Amino acid sequence: MSFKDVIDEEERDAYMLCNEAIVRAALEADVQLVSFYPGAPQTEILDNFEKAASKYDFKIEVAANEKVALETVAGAAMLGKRSLTSMKSVGTNVASDALYTLAYTGLKGGCLCLIADDPHAHSSQSEQDGRWFGLTAYLPMLEPSTPKEAMEMVKKGFELSEEFGTLVLIRTTTRVNHQSGIVPLGPMNRTPFEKVSWKEMKRPYTSVGELARKGKREMLDRMEKIRKKMARSSLNRVEYFDGKELKDKGGDGEKLGVVTAGVSYCYTVEALARLELPAKILKLGVINPMAEEMIVDFCEGLDKVVIVEELSPYMEDVVRRSVKDIEIYGKRTGHFSEALEYDIPSVLEGLSAVAGVEPPFDHKEHCKEMKKLAEILPQRLPVFCAGCPHRATFWSLRRAVGDPDSVFFANDIGCYSMMCLPPVEWSDTLLCMGASMGVAAGVQYIAKEKTIAVVGDSTFFHAALPGIVNLVHNEDDVTIFVLDNAVTAMTGQQSHPGNEKKAGGREGKKLDIRSVLEGLGVEKIYDISSYEVKDNIPIIKEALEHEGVSAVISHGECALYHYRNYRRGGGKLVPYFIDLETCESVHACVLNFMCPAISVMPEEKGKARIHQDICVGCGVCSKLCPKGAIRSTATIYGGDNKPVYTVEDYEKYVEKKEAEG
Amino acid sequence: MKQINIILCGIGGEGLVLMSNIIGETCRLAGENVISGEMHGLAQRSGSVIVHMRMGDEVLSPLIPPGEADVIVSLEIMEALRYLYYLKPGGTVITNKRLVHPPGETHELVMGKVEKYVEYEGVLEAIKSTDAEVVEVNALSLAKKAGEVRAQNVVLLGALSAALSGSIPEKSFMDAVEETVPKKAVESNLKAFELGIDAYES
Repeated sequence: MSFKDVIDEEERDAYMLCNEAIVRAALEADVQLVSFYPGAPQTEILDNFEKAASKYDFKIEVAANEKVALETVAGAAMLGKRSLTSMKSVGTNVASDALYTLAYTGLKGGCLCLIADDPHAHSSQSEQDGRWFGLTAYLPMLEPSTPKEAMEMVKKGFELSEEFGTLVLIRTTTRVNHQSGIVPLGPMNRTPFEKVSWKEMKRPYTSVGELARKGKREMLDRMEKIRKKMARSSLNRVEYFDGKELKDKGGDGEKLGVVTAGVSYCYTVEALARLELPAKILKLGVINPMAEEMIVDFCEGLDKVVIVEELSPYMEDVVRRSVKDIEIYGKRTGHFSEALEYDIPSVLEGLSAVAGVEPPFDHKEHCKEMKKLAEILPQRLPVFCAGCPHRATFWSLRRAVGDPDSVFFANDIGCYSMMCLPPVEWSDTLLCMGASMGVAAGVQYIAKEKTIAVVGDSTFFHAALPGIVNLVHNEDDVTIFVLDNAVTAMTGQQSHPGNEKKAGGREGKKLDIRSVLEGLGVEKIYDISSYEVKDNIPIIKEALEHEGVSAVISHGECALYHYRNYRRGGGKLVPYFIDLETCESVHACVLNFMCPAISVMPEEKGKARIHQDICVGCGVCSKLCPKGAIRSTATIYGGDNKPVYTVEDYEKYVEKKEAEG
Repeated sequence: MKQINIILCGIGGEGLVLMSNIIGETCRLAGENVISGEMHGLAQRSGSVIVHMRMGDEVLSPLIPPGEADVIVSLEIMEALRYLYYLKPGGTVITNKRLVHPPGETHELVMGKVEKYVEYEGVLEAIKSTDAEVVEVNALSLAKKAGEVRAQNVVLLGALSAALSGSIPEKSFMDAVEETVPKKAVESNLKAFELGIDAYES
């Protein structure tokens, strides 16, 4: 699996991540415009399109948010061009204002919107079930189980979209997006990008009042046509597991059936195999409109039907509505959970309870013993990277604030969200993109404590601006912290409107955060350099003392982004080291700092040590040490201003010193 | 081919995804079905990371059930123990001879919340207290020997290929390494791979 497979012209099998297969399929289907806001588990779709932009002629944007991205691709589809956006589950909430009305207006060209849900909330703030968008917005929705199916559905989705003149939704989950498998590469039928005349295809995409009422009728008609067309779609299929293997027909007289979709289908087949339990399977690929006639036919002659789906009982309730005189099992009967993602054991448990058979292996009991052994381990939670500017900013903020209980801390979505996790656990709220500003507005009316609202640079442009406008207009008393690390760091350092690069690494127009804040009327604005940890304390104190809206912009590039560029430009990392003769085990470099490059040496009275393979040389720890025991390895060779020495040089130096005793 | 389930684990940023890509490519070249499930995003920031690799005709799901992994390959020993519950009875653990203290552990130690660090030997003992077969590989020294300090993952891959020698040809692994790593690093990575095989066999 690699990017080269995404753009390989050869028609062969490739091992691909589902997100790569989606990009490949869209390129094969001649997509002409794509736009995204990054967010797990769909970010690799943007990343791969960015790389492909250097080879193929299509338009690409990293949009300010998901709503803008959807509107952008809709714009292209109004002119008949194939276009695609994808967004994480909660990103769809942002885009939904446009989404619901686009269903009324319809579109001319093939237009796909992929919604990537995150059952288990691996990297999201909720387990939101995106399937309801399809149902409630009256938009067709497809759901693949594997990378291969995702590839097929992207192509089918474009065709469906064009045939019926509607936006088509594709719903995935983390375990599908981040699943890799073998996919067949098809022909790359690209056409050169060219502009078309609006005049020749002009028709209104407007919806209000009478127009909306007309649009609603048309939308209902359209969905009815799609329902008829998709009623026997090959994307929905009946299979039979005979107790040993899966067959594409048979099972007449079988009394047990399973209705499933998405990754739950995969778990179902393997769970049946472990139970050696024969069952008919209805695997749905079209989850809106649901193939109710097919469900009724499938259930004919069955005694029991089980619905296996993650999150809400979306399909289960359709089955309950469509089928009578049959035992129906699912979440409503307590056999399956509405919480968390599934796996083979959880599906196996539900199926064995329904069928009244013993599971062959007690996965839970096995886990219990093994997990007990692992209790000796410390947790390994995600932390700020070595050299991360956020670590430095929060260190200064904590000192400026003094007692963390003396402020209300409204946090936001980004790497800095990690502040709310153990062992730091310093955040009073964490809701959604940009929410820190709105929450702070309410809190500052009521709380006696000072209210602070923290937001990253990408989130600032994504959803914080209206909240800031609101704070300023109402003359609220809040100190805003904008953490300007130049990129959307959490998702893999994509560009955003505050970066001089736009999608695909091309030059764009950088929006200056200070100018934006000034333009919005923020009275007091302080620029600080994240790494000047001690100098920043009095500046932050001054900002906090200001009555009204004040802002602190902490500048420091994301360490992963900065040092990657630095190394690509020929720079060499210059790590710091602990001078053991000077170190007195004060641990200022450890307490509330938690740099992955620093640990202590129990055998040396707890003196600190810096791991040379992890330290990137940001030097913040050296500023914290009251004894001056932390120094740049550059000093060994001739001064801080000559950062030309490598980790390897340093290791050689240490080896030499050790040899000398 | 009979089903083979492999757990790869370690710490975010260590090259686990590259490792799983090479295994996936290996299966493609060997004409075997393969599926993997991996975690991206939040878990990358020096957190604990796990990748599920599954091969064989009948595999369909991206997640290995607990107690069904044939092999656990770990770039760091604490993570081998953390995910040991995935190992089938009598399965194999191939672990890097390396322990990395999480920053949170150091913090707790300095705060006096824990008395001492968890040490390598203690973790190894816990793994060995089960019926797992344990193979330790000093991947860092072998990677250095191969001339590519970052190839610890490929050293362990060599050891894994030795463990799977009955099922997947070594040649496919080597071809996949060649296809997947950057051109200039092919030679050192192949060397690292071979040293990993030797380490497993000795």
